Amino acid sequence: MTNDSTKQDRELDLWREQWSRVARPSPEFQRQVQQRIKVQDRRFWLGNLLALAAFVVMLTLAIYQLSHPASRIEKGRATGICLLLFVAVACRLWISRGTWRAETQSVRAFLELWHRRVQARIRGIQIGIYLATGWLAFCAALAAANWATIRPGLMAHPTVYLAMMLVLVLMLPAIWFGLMWFRRLKVAELNEVTRLLEEMGTE
Amino acid sequence: MRETRRALERQFERILGEHGAAISRLAYSYEAVNGIREELLQEIALAIWQALPHFRGECSERTFIFRIAHNRGLTHVGRRRAPQQSLDDLEEADEPVDPRPLPEEYLAQTNQRERLALAVQSLPVAHKQMIVLMLEGLSHAEIGEVLGITENNVAVRLTRARKTLKQAMGVTQ
Repeated sequence: MTNDSTKQDRELDLWREQWSRVARPSPEFQRQVQQRIKVQDRRFWLGNLLALAAFVVMLTLAIYQLSHPASRIEKGRATGICLLLFVAVACRLWISRGTWRAETQSVRAFLELWHRRVQARIRGIQIGIYLATGWLAFCAALAAANWATIRPGLMAHPTVYLAMMLVLVLMLPAIWFGLMWFRRLKVAELNEVTRLLEEMGTE
Repeated sequence: MRETRRALERQFERILGEHGAAISRLAYSYEAVNGIREELLQEIALAIWQALPHFRGECSERTFIFRIAHNRGLTHVGRRRAPQQSLDDLEEADEPVDPRPLPEEYLAQTNQRERLALAVQSLPVAHKQMIVLMLEGLSHAEIGEVLGITENNVAVRLTRARKTLKQAMGVTQ
């Protein structure tokens, strides 16, 4: 028993000594990492500045339109823009929240979180597929309901209207295939994470 | 604000100096191809930099770094979605093709260090993580903290992982 454990210790010492010489970072490593940090910082600030600039410009335009005499459609558009901006800013904050903190958790906790996130993403894609289909159905219903208003325009410019309809009709399969492709990617990722989790669990 | 940033930069430089080699070996265990490994190593370093402001000393610095490094390694494996590489594939990735060797003869000729390194790369992820942490000299308690399992579980799994490693190295028991 003692012999066995001494042999194992010696084997482990030998492995550790050999392992310590397996790989070393290149002399350029630290400089390259610093360079990437700088690029990332610059991108982060530039992204924030652009988002802020876009936010200010759109908000000013929306406020201008709301405070001046305008039709109900124009006021509705301005309110829509304000709501859209609010959602966009909220999404940006939501996406960037706690991304780095996830990796400081234990490997098991990280894998479980990753699994939940991929599942949520797949659910999101599924909802996206329904929303895209619903949106197109809504557009078609809206066009049918307002046929009397659209008809004179259609007769005057048939090519423009036909092109618009063609784009709308082609959009459905494009969105559908895009989302299905993304879903397939995420399902493959989910399978891989599940496999890793099972490996961790059964070992 | 600037002082905090400078302090973080100093801490980060020290961490890379002290643990750079260990992170590099860890990246080696996850990726056989040189260029991609360099990329993975830089990504691990970036992840450490991004997580550093959130480090409050709930665990040791070494545990914190190994957690991030392994999690980034796992992300790399999960996104690559390639089938588990065999020992032969890994040898092909780093070594020029030698028409001579038969597997046993080749293993006998290759030096111990390469055999160990290639065997670690070929292990299933759960065993690989165990072995790498053991080879880096982490205690059972620290390994448990990194992986999120109990100390007893670590002991059991390490025994299995060592057995698999020996098999991969072609060591007769």
